[in-house]
Amino acid sequence: MNDSVLLLSLASAIVIGTPILLAGLGEMMTEHSGVMNLGVEGMMLGGGVVGFWMSTQYPSMPLAMAVGAGVGALFAGIHAYLAVTLRVNQIVSGLALVITGTGFAGFVGSSNDSALIYARPKSSLEPVFGEGMQELPLVGPLVFGHDWVVYMSWLLVAVAAFWLFRTRAGLALRAVGEDPATADTVGISVGVTRYVYTMIGGAGAGMGGTYLMVEIFATYQHGITAGLGWIAFALVTFAGWRPWRALVAAYVFGALRNLGFTLQILGASVPSDVLNALPFVLTIVALIIISARPAAARKYSAPSALSIPYSREIR
Amino acid sequence: MSLPLGAFELTVERQQIPSRLVRMAAPTASVAFGLLVGAVIIWASGQDPILAYTEMAKKGFGGRLALTGTLVLATPLILTGLAAVVAFRMKIWNIGAEGQLILGAVASSGVGLWLGDNGIGGPVGIVLMLAAGAGAGALWAGLAALPRAYLNTDEVISTLMLNFVALGIMNYLIFSSFSHWRDPSRATFPVGRFVDDSMFLHRFTGRLHIGLFIALAAAGALWWALRSTRWGFEVWVTGDSPRAALYSGMRVDRKILSVLMVSGAFAGLGGGIEVGGVLGNLDPRALSLGVGFAGIVVAALARLSPLGVIPVAILVASFTNAKPGLQVLGIPSEIVTLLEGILFLCIVGGEWFLRNAVRLQRRAAGPRPVGVEAAPS
Repeated sequence: MNDSVLLLSLASAIVIGTPILLAGLGEMMTEHSGVMNLGVEGMMLGGGVVGFWMSTQYPSMPLAMAVGAGVGALFAGIHAYLAVTLRVNQIVSGLALVITGTGFAGFVGSSNDSALIYARPKSSLEPVFGEGMQELPLVGPLVFGHDWVVYMSWLLVAVAAFWLFRTRAGLALRAVGEDPATADTVGISVGVTRYVYTMIGGAGAGMGGTYLMVEIFATYQHGITAGLGWIAFALVTFAGWRPWRALVAAYVFGALRNLGFTLQILGASVPSDVLNALPFVLTIVALIIISARPAAARKYSAPSALSIPYSREIR
Repeated sequence: MSLPLGAFELTVERQQIPSRLVRMAAPTASVAFGLLVGAVIIWASGQDPILAYTEMAKKGFGGRLALTGTLVLATPLILTGLAAVVAFRMKIWNIGAEGQLILGAVASSGVGLWLGDNGIGGPVGIVLMLAAGAGAGALWAGLAALPRAYLNTDEVISTLMLNFVALGIMNYLIFSSFSHWRDPSRATFPVGRFVDDSMFLHRFTGRLHIGLFIALAAAGALWWALRSTRWGFEVWVTGDSPRAALYSGMRVDRKILSVLMVSGAFAGLGGGIEVGGVLGNLDPRALSLGVGFAGIVVAALARLSPLGVIPVAILVASFTNAKPGLQVLGIPSEIVTLLEGILFLCIVGGEWFLRNAVRLQRRAAGPRPVGVEAAPS
């Protein structure tokens, strides 16, 4: 009995970890280009609410995800314009984006004629694999019990890892994030690179928000992300800017969200408020450990040019 | 950079000191542009933008009740704004004012309750309560400041993360435990225990309490300290060039500690004032995230001027104050948050005109002198 409780909560950690992973992976690509976008929570809400609206109009999850990704990318485009073209302080611009996205979601969600709060998605996702595979011991619920979005997120992790560290485009991306002036001299467009990857980050957040609203909660409420966007932002640091680590970390953070229920079933009682704060405590601890060890700091630290605007004229 | 336009050309050059006209015109034009974008959105959603804006102005500033309400909301915003100003001046990016304010509220309500339990109240109690708030804010910021000063740990992420840890602590004290802070008589609907009446800050008219003047005094003190003290000078030098500061014998690590802790103290004081002047208890529903992040944007819009924070904070607070009133008119109150975000983005973007001079001039005949275009000013 206890085994299956544990197994089920691990499986649901993967589900709740998926929006964290999608948004975090996007933000990771953004940060590799040297742009820090604090607006993840806002983009998740803003992209997600439109994706959710799409799902209430037309029963297609791929369409809802695409729309959510597109709107998230548009929100990120605002940040890119401010941070890359106008070179404003990225912290300020990112926080303004959080406020804008939150307001946008609230506004769209509560407009009298749409009333998304009462709307429900027209379809929900089914597990990809058949009953037989889902009933396999252990790997059944953990590996074969999910919908296609979960598998897509695994694929995206692999693609991101390959892209970043095994392709020329990834090398160019990292060069822009580490040393934009040098990247510029070898003919890589710093501006275009930063725009593209900032918007990819927004698309990830928008997809994460859409999945959260359409599939996990199947409803829209004000502030439905409840800090998941910030967890996704923390994830990038906790994972040391590495995609495969992000996959593991997203499920650890997801598990912490569920741990309260699990422990209650098992008879222990740890308040959910404490568990909700744990991902952030873990991130701080990881950050301090990494910065205290020079060898680790070289390998797992932030891109050198992170949040520094680039201009050819000012060095 | 230049853009040919027929017989004219548009040139863009970097500038250090914008003209007085541009300094006034750029923010005004940015606000106007933001309001225009907002109007289009309001109009597109089937509401009347003119009505929405006039109502917002009325609910924010029209009459004594509206005005005092706005000033009460502006008080914590001024203090979180100051928290951002002092840290950002030294290019220490404290984005943890949120958490520092929450811990300030936790400490001051805790101390306030303890003093009340022991029969201490009145002005002495109030001073101790507010001091506890400021002290807790400073210590909470210190958690990020120590690794920043001695291990060079990125303070952006650590201060940000500490916000959510502080939120967890506050929620735990009220919702998940029978702590010193929680009212034991309310088991089903958890609320914080109220401090003694004698510990409430003095109220003048309506809800306006003395906290506003504490915040104004804090702004004045910071303005003076940054301008006229050795500490302020060193903050400025360290922010501009940490290396120069180090070589001239300044203790940069101590400066980081002191600046971050002063920053945290401002935010923590804000939390204390909220408890003493508005809430009377530790209320997680009222202290949820928002004021700290808004304070950062306020500081940026005030161009990191301690005194400039005051009018900007009041303006932003008037928006928040207008929220409930709009809902009554059938306009979704969330439009205010959206509009706030749009205005922030526009004004922050408008800063570009302060750093760059744009001129429309007649195109010179013949080839341009070499190097003119690329020369940075």
